[in-house]
Amino acid sequence: MEGQLSSLVITKEDMETIDELFSQYLVDSQAKDIILLNKSGELLAKSGTVTRESALAVSALAAGVFSATNELAKLLGEHEFALTFHQGKETNIHISLVDPLTLLAVIFDNKAPIGAIRFWAKKISASILPVLQKMAAVPHQEPSEEFRKGLQDEIDNLF
Amino acid sequence: MSLIDFSKSEITFKIVYYGPAMSGKTTNLGWIYRAIPDKVKGQFTSIATETERTLFFDFLPVELGSVKGYKIRLSLYTVPGQELYKLTRKSVLKSVDGIVFVADSSGARRDDNINNLADMTRNLEEYEQPDTPVVYQLNKRDLPDVMPVDQLMDELDLAGKPVYLGIASSGVSVMDCLKGITREVVSKI
Repeated sequence: MEGQLSSLVITKEDMETIDELFSQYLVDSQAKDIILLNKSGELLAKSGTVTRESALAVSALAAGVFSATNELAKLLGEHEFALTFHQGKETNIHISLVDPLTLLAVIFDNKAPIGAIRFWAKKISASILPVLQKMAAVPHQEPSEEFRKGLQDEIDNLF
Repeated sequence: MSLIDFSKSEITFKIVYYGPAMSGKTTNLGWIYRAIPDKVKGQFTSIATETERTLFFDFLPVELGSVKGYKIRLSLYTVPGQELYKLTRKSVLKSVDGIVFVADSSGARRDDNINNLADMTRNLEEYEQPDTPVVYQLNKRDLPDVMPVDQLMDELDLAGKPVYLGIASSGVSVMDCLKGITREVVSKI
């Protein structure tokens, strides 16, 4: 059985903490973009020059790549590969596991040596982990019946 | 897994179009992409083979608008229907909030529909999400060899479930299915 969270709640405060961490790391590591996503392909946070539209697509694809890589891992007798790295002429992307449900994608230009990329991905993951643990520890507050009903009533207007 | 982002006042739901190969899942997404205004849709990402069959998935993010002060966003995915891509289907289904099961109404595809639906049910059980909302689209109702609706519903055990009759290639019931599943996932939040 492979259980999972039914919903993930990101508070304003969590997002500010993540944004602050990512902004600092963008400067320190000289990464182009930092993207936080979950294994189901949802974009959780992004920092850098990447547009939201591209970050959404990168998240869906990065989760797909990671999932495919893990089937490969299983075939080879590994439980999971903790990271995957793609090197291009101009740009590199490093995707690594932060916790069992969350992935970090860091995009660098080709000036950064692989060692530095791995170092920074590890460092960013370690800093972001307590924030994710805090998010997971907060009990999930059910939306009120009134809110839910309001959503239901108004959905028709969206189409 | 619905994602509630209070910092941006957004709720995102993941909706997957499931069903046997060539039943019209990508056609549904393509229609949605063409039907909705540019400003509310994201990039249509497709990983297809050279013959345009879906290899991994199609992905289309859509922003529906605001209700109760929250922007409702949908991440729409399709899965590859071919038997070969069983593991891919399972992986795309991870943390899904709602499913549109696209069945092929052709009599010749009877077994494919049944097997694919069983595959979906099995995957949901393995993810411990057997109660995930599903709406069903009986697609390709314009084919010459369609199974009668009652028979197809019996074969797939769809009595009492939300069922739409579709011709996705010309948009019939495409938006209704999307609206139907959106209502279902919102009610589960």
